[in-house]
Amino acid sequence: MAAYILRRLVSTIAVMAMVGIFVFLLLRLAPGDPAAIIAGERATPQVLAAIRQQLGLNEPLLVQFVHWALSILGGDFGSSLFSGRPVLELISLRLEPTISISILTIILSVTTGVSFGILAAWRAGGLVDRILTAFATLGFSVPVFVVGFFLIYLFAIGAHWLPVQGYVPIENGLGPWFVHLILPTLALGLPYIAFIARVTRASMLEVLSEDYMRTAAAKGASSYAMLFHHALKNAGVPILTVIGLSFAYLISGVVITETVFNLPGIGRLVVDALNSRDYPIIQGVLILVSGVYVLINLLVDLSYTLVDPRIRY
Amino acid sequence: MTISRRDLVKLGIAAGTAISIPSVLRAQTAPADARTVRMVLGDLSTFDPIVSTAYTSGNHGLAIYDTLFALDSKLRPQPQMVGKWGVSDDKKKYTFELREGLGWHDGTPVTAADCVASIRRWGQVPSGGTLIMERARDISAQDDKTFIISLKEPLGLLIETLASASTPLLFIMREKDANRPAAEQVTANIGSGPFKFNQALAKPGASFTYDRNEKYIPRQEPADGFAGGKVVNVDRVIWENISDQQTSFAALQSGEVDFVYDPPADLYPAIKSDPNLELQALNKAGDVYFMRMNCLQKPFDNVKARQAMLHLIDQEAVMRTVAPQEYISAVTSFFGNQTPYTNDENTGWYKKGGDPEKAKQLLNEAGYGGETVVILQHTGWASGNIIAQFLAATLRKIGMNVDLVPADSAKRSELLTNGSWSIFMTNESDYDRSTPVSNPTLSANGEAGWFGWPKSDEYEALRAKWANVETLEERQALAREMQRIQWDIVGTVLLGSALSPIARRKTLTGLIEMPALTAMWNMQKGA
Repeated sequence: MAAYILRRLVSTIAVMAMVGIFVFLLLRLAPGDPAAIIAGERATPQVLAAIRQQLGLNEPLLVQFVHWALSILGGDFGSSLFSGRPVLELISLRLEPTISISILTIILSVTTGVSFGILAAWRAGGLVDRILTAFATLGFSVPVFVVGFFLIYLFAIGAHWLPVQGYVPIENGLGPWFVHLILPTLALGLPYIAFIARVTRASMLEVLSEDYMRTAAAKGASSYAMLFHHALKNAGVPILTVIGLSFAYLISGVVITETVFNLPGIGRLVVDALNSRDYPIIQGVLILVSGVYVLINLLVDLSYTLVDPRIRY
Repeated sequence: MTISRRDLVKLGIAAGTAISIPSVLRAQTAPADARTVRMVLGDLSTFDPIVSTAYTSGNHGLAIYDTLFALDSKLRPQPQMVGKWGVSDDKKKYTFELREGLGWHDGTPVTAADCVASIRRWGQVPSGGTLIMERARDISAQDDKTFIISLKEPLGLLIETLASASTPLLFIMREKDANRPAAEQVTANIGSGPFKFNQALAKPGASFTYDRNEKYIPRQEPADGFAGGKVVNVDRVIWENISDQQTSFAALQSGEVDFVYDPPADLYPAIKSDPNLELQALNKAGDVYFMRMNCLQKPFDNVKARQAMLHLIDQEAVMRTVAPQEYISAVTSFFGNQTPYTNDENTGWYKKGGDPEKAKQLLNEAGYGGETVVILQHTGWASGNIIAQFLAATLRKIGMNVDLVPADSAKRSELLTNGSWSIFMTNESDYDRSTPVSNPTLSANGEAGWFGWPKSDEYEALRAKWANVETLEERQALAREMQRIQWDIVGTVLLGSALSPIARRKTLTGLIEMPALTAMWNMQKGA
């Protein structure tokens, strides 16, 4: 196991190096000039040239890359071309909303999605199954922003129960923090609930049709024992894989959700930075997100051994 | 199915919880503090209002910095930080004395040296400042309160230039900030204006907080445009950066924000139908939309092809893609619709509905051979995006070979700079078209000038003369001459004019009505 983890960590370094080169080149070769965004439309070419010089954008690409790579290795992610604030500080300011909504979404989708999946498999072919399957199809098909605006219209503008937008840090009180995250979590969580429910249902149905399940039933095992002790454990590996992958993909949904609900998280930071070509921020965020992605994959792989003792590394 | 007593108890608890949730939630979403105004003003990405010509940076500058002079509601310059000023008999030496009580947010007093450094920095960017620097023999502080501008020759436009509301405005910064090169941003955000930037509450990309500067001493005169007393009636203004327009509107409806800058026209009916909301045009003269053609490339290197565009455009049709009929108008004067220099010289090209036949004829005369016309489609600007599509269809109707190139702000800026385009659209406030000396969009100095690069030495000679003449009548006469040349060389084609009202809650009153920029003082927020 230790050797496996070590091997994975070494390969992670290689992956991150590739990500770094790719991200840097992709950004620098894409059209767009941060100097023009800073100076505004009415700036003259002379002013733009002076700003580019000031920002070091006139240096050869290789020199810029070496500067950046060495800084990253030293733990310095650089500073925003616009605000001048360190990238790590800007990312840390944006982490809380993204982590908050991600954790709430994970809790909501796993608990609800797995429950729905088990329920649908247990009542396969019945009314409950059909309703849950229809819900899952709908949840998977409707875009996040449509769900978001629908929820805003219903609960914020219509009923005045919940705020339309914004984020309140957890240090300002658990209540306001939670209330501002209810609608974003619902909007972001819906497709994941649907996805997890569908996979859980399929996986459970497969296990429920196994001979040993029939044996358990013949021995008089209760529905609870059959579903949770025998079936769920054996259906767990694909479910875990899907959950892991879902949350690696969560970041794309977070971008839209943060925009619709005006949450100042990492997703919006990236979008704003992309629009303004704030290279240090985009590079910093992508490196960190890639790192998290790789880490989640590693954790998912390791968690298989807990669910299925037959798996060994 | 039987219902047990235990089930009933569970049901009761669940129902009670569900009923109580709305009140609990309402308590968490209580209306904002009545002494705090929340404004959606766009994305403030560049703090330094000298480096950037963006209106967002200008709004930020208006809040935290002060100006030597400012324009009143009739666009006349009035002293702001300056208490007394005078000019020598030969009109070559101006003396300015700062008024009492001016202080920086860090507690130190504003000095004449700060003003001198600020003027010098402002003079490095394209603005009226470059003209002053060209003409200045000496700009220096005489003592802590007094500074002079000595000129090589009289400059009739000096005070108007110092007061200009065209971005970048002459905001006065601390000497140590203003001593930085103009290409290097000042991010300290310490000014002497009516609001203090709250660094601790700054959330880049999300919101910025401006606290009332309790030590600010407003002028005694009532607020009048950007001039007069900058009296702050609220404790705090929060600049919200809500990037989604639909979300901004929903937040305005629910009372989470008080002000939304430039809502999209398709939301006007919904805003008008809400009894708590109001549309208000702060810029009464509106914005002028125009397109520039690349005079260095085919087909628009030929003046006949540019003239074809002038005749082709149906301004009403173009502007209807942007705003409802009641908010739009045609504009035929190069100097905008409502400036002191608006005139009708050489405007015979204008025909309601456009003149496609004349355009075709001119295009033939230009020898148009099917060259690709690249139109930049600004995907980050809703109005510009749709105008580009409309324009492409219009050009295709007269047989032009059009390629629409979608580009976000950053890509568009790069394409503009490297010249790989034929047409792009933009807009600016009507007022901006009254400042030919400081506004690069009104130049015709070829490759040394602004995107499109039209060239007319005759026009440039008149533009240079503009700064020297003393009276309004003389400048109006110059404006007629300049316009005559412009509608012959056609460096710019006007697309029309539109009002861009802001949306506000009716409880927010006292907004300053001025072109382009939004001032935060004078506002009042009722219950």
